[in-house]
Amino acid sequence: MSSLGHAVILPRLVGWHIHQNDKFFITFLVATHLATALVLLLFFWRDWVRIIKGLGRSLRDRGIAPDDTDARLGWLLVVGTIPAGLLGLLLESKLRSVFASAQSAAIFLFVNGLLLAVAEYLRRRAPVVEEEDDARIARTLSWRDATVVGTLQAGALVPGISRAGMTMGAGLIVGLSHKDAARFAFLLATPIIGAAAVLKLPELFGADGRGVRGPALVGALCAAVTAFLAVKFLMRYFETNTLIPFAIYCCAAGAATAIYFAVT
Amino acid sequence: MDNRRLLAIAAVVLGIALIVVAIVYWVEPAKSLPGFFPGHQAGSNHHHVKHGIASFLVGLACLVFAWFNTGPKRTSTAA
Repeated sequence: MSSLGHAVILPRLVGWHIHQNDKFFITFLVATHLATALVLLLFFWRDWVRIIKGLGRSLRDRGIAPDDTDARLGWLLVVGTIPAGLLGLLLESKLRSVFASAQSAAIFLFVNGLLLAVAEYLRRRAPVVEEEDDARIARTLSWRDATVVGTLQAGALVPGISRAGMTMGAGLIVGLSHKDAARFAFLLATPIIGAAAVLKLPELFGADGRGVRGPALVGALCAAVTAFLAVKFLMRYFETNTLIPFAIYCCAAGAATAIYFAVT
Repeated sequence: MDNRRLLAIAAVVLGIALIVVAIVYWVEPAKSLPGFFPGHQAGSNHHHVKHGIASFLVGLACLVFAWFNTGPKRTSTAA
């Protein structure tokens, strides 16, 4: 649902004088993103250990054994992370300055809702095969699919566009189930959110962080608790449910706030 | 020489070149970068750390690609 979009819209709604490009706001966001990345890493810790071992095995053997799903999933995540990482590194500050307003975030939140609904409509129903989650994901996704799904993460550089929404939507279109698309989206999120936060850490601990570290710590703790509860809930929710409620929320909230900002 | 080996050699050359470019980005300020480098800016002391990281990552990916491409043939290979 775009945490960045909400972080831009909410201050304007409640009348806080915060702008997306304010240094203290960016520092605050770094802390919350770092906390989110750490929670994701801990939540999927066992999976990451398996995946990293798989990556190591494939590097040692100079190839991926056909039955090594951990290695294949690991390289799918690497292939999905590289394009989004490059786009983020090269475009982040430019996009932030272009789409900094709450009005544009509201409009993109509405667009995000439409994209989620379109993804549900275009969903390709993969045959249900009873096997382990990661094996099913590794078998369903091709290298090209992983590149496309991963690249769409970069959409989240625009406030209002949801990273998880884009990756889940793309995952559904290329044939993943809701549960698998959510799992792949969360696994993809960990390195990219973590790396983005680590790159900005000097701002948190440098001069820009003065006076913000206390609120940032509180924000990070809240983000950590919320991220844990959200991931736990969503991993269960997507076993049987769809993206449609999120699409409706994004369209409704985006349209309502865009109209409100236009008339006030 | 087969295509697989040629691709691997090209990936190694490109990978090393990109890692050298990354080091140049990290070491040199924007004013000292060669004119054809993205980010070159006369009079600027800014270091384009992110450009360097991007270049390094792509270089590393090229080397990994070459590593897999020169390994024993399998039915499925990475990148």
